Amino acid sequence: MTLTKVSEFVRPRNLTEAFSLLEEKKARIIAGGIDVILFPTPAERLIDITALPLSGIEGGEEGVSIGATTTMTELLESPVLRGYLNGAVCEMLRQVASPLQRNLATVGGSLMIGHPWSDLITLFLVIGADVTYFDGEEHEVPIDRFYAENIHRRRVILTGINFPAVRRGTAAAFIKFSRTAFDIALLNCAALVETADGRCTAARIAVGGTPRRAKLLVRAAAELAGKPLSEEVVVQAARAAQDEAEVGDDIRASADYRRELVGVGVYRVLSRIRERLEGSA
Amino acid sequence: MKIAVKINDVQREFSITPGETLLELLRREGYKGVKKGCETGDCGACAVLLDGRAVNSCLVLAAKVDGHTVVTVEGLEKNGELAPLQEAFLDTGAVQCGYCTPGMLIAATDLLAHNPDPSEEEIKEAISGNLCRCTGYVKQVEAIKLAVQRMRGGEDA
Ligand SMILES: Cc1cc2nc3c(=O)[nH]c(=O)nc-3n(C[C@H](O)[C@H](O)[C@H](O)COP(=O)(O)OP(=O)(O)OC[C@H]3O[C@@H](n4cnc5c(N)ncnc54)[C@H](O)[C@@H]3O)c2cc1C
Ligand code: FES
Ligand code: FES
Repeated sequence: MTLTKVSEFVRPRNLTEAFSLLEEKKARIIAGGIDVILFPTPAERLIDITALPLSGIEGGEEGVSIGATTTMTELLESPVLRGYLNGAVCEMLRQVASPLQRNLATVGGSLMIGHPWSDLITLFLVIGADVTYFDGEEHEVPIDRFYAENIHRRRVILTGINFPAVRRGTAAAFIKFSRTAFDIALLNCAALVETADGRCTAARIAVGGTPRRAKLLVRAAAELAGKPLSEEVVVQAARAAQDEAEVGDDIRASADYRRELVGVGVYRVLSRIRERLEGSA
Repeated sequence: MKIAVKINDVQREFSITPGETLLELLRREGYKGVKKGCETGDCGACAVLLDGRAVNSCLVLAAKVDGHTVVTVEGLEKNGELAPLQEAFLDTGAVQCGYCTPGMLIAATDLLAHNPDPSEEEIKEAISGNLCRCTGYVKQVEAIKLAVQRMRGGEDA
């Protein structure tokens, strides 16, 4: 549908110019443009940042940097991400929308709109990603702080996302529950576990689409500390996650159903991580 | 504002309003093979190739394609000959009312350009953003498999 409020479409040549254009009047950044079209605002000026050098994927096991305007398809097809953290990022992205949207959708757009059911946010929380943004100066903040402080609601330009180095004995997994693969999540779950000598040395678990935005489940993750990732420990952590997660009702699912899903989801991601750790040992 | 776009191998210029979508522009300019369904990215009937990748034209602003390349279903045939995918859709009976067909063909064209030997799973994933209310998707999947076979040099199954 035509965005009737929009009277100007500009392509700045650099980040500083883009930011000053954003400050001047009712302006909005446009990347893939999906949500700019589906969720219109009173913005009169659209600032297309896709011609800026903000796209690309670099790195490997030692950490990965992704530019804000990189599309989900580019991420899925990247050998770097296939090799990072047992391909967990690709495992998640294959379940996001369909190729028709993934060819447009950018990682920056997805993080800035911050949909509560976002599959990216849930996984990026357990990866411990850092978000970089520009507001006249460059900043880098952990993704949980990025949302806790509502930085995505401020007038900033997200420039990229960084994933940390992966130690040996680390694995991650993601799961999305939805009516069809194409549909938005009823709930999603991700976990990352670091182990040394067969015991968990660090773990993060997150659930999203609760129907609120994804959060880390700190107590559930603490259940794993210092223990071997046995069936019994996985079951305990899944129970703890059910107690800890704040779930609610919306048009997609009831709170009761979601609470069940938290238990099943956390059990499955941790079991998958267990298999992956055994497979790589 | 003015934009320059290469559409179906022809370089063209259009006057547009900065807030209109590529879907609206294309249909106004007579590319009626691009179908208007939901306008929310859910049905895939409006799919076109943008720089070689299948996208929902209802989710793209016309202003964004300035300087880029677009292919609609009208551009799939070459010198009056249907593309192998189009032939295969006809031969398999994958077209009923036909409303979803242009979008399916575009999605499948992107798939085969990047993955010439897809598995059945990969074919299903490629058209997962294209709704069809007539068929049960079985014929479309068969059609794409047939096109793959023919393009790889084998004949009918
Ligand atoms: C049919 C459909 C199915 C979907 N399914 C899923 C799904 O299963 N899982 C899932 O997680 N998501 C899903 N999505 C959501 C999709 O992931 C987002 O719509 C998409 O990622 C947005 O990216 P974009 O580049 O198009 O954003 P845009 O529309 O360009 O931007 C989104 C917002 O962020 C702002 N913005 C964009 N880039 C920047 C930047 N670099 N700095 C500052 N501000 C910026 C814009 O101003 C806008 O407000 C679905 C969407 C559709 C239409
Ligand atoms: S009209 Fe574009 S996806 Fe339905
Ligand atoms: S053939 Fe009618 S919608 Fe697909």
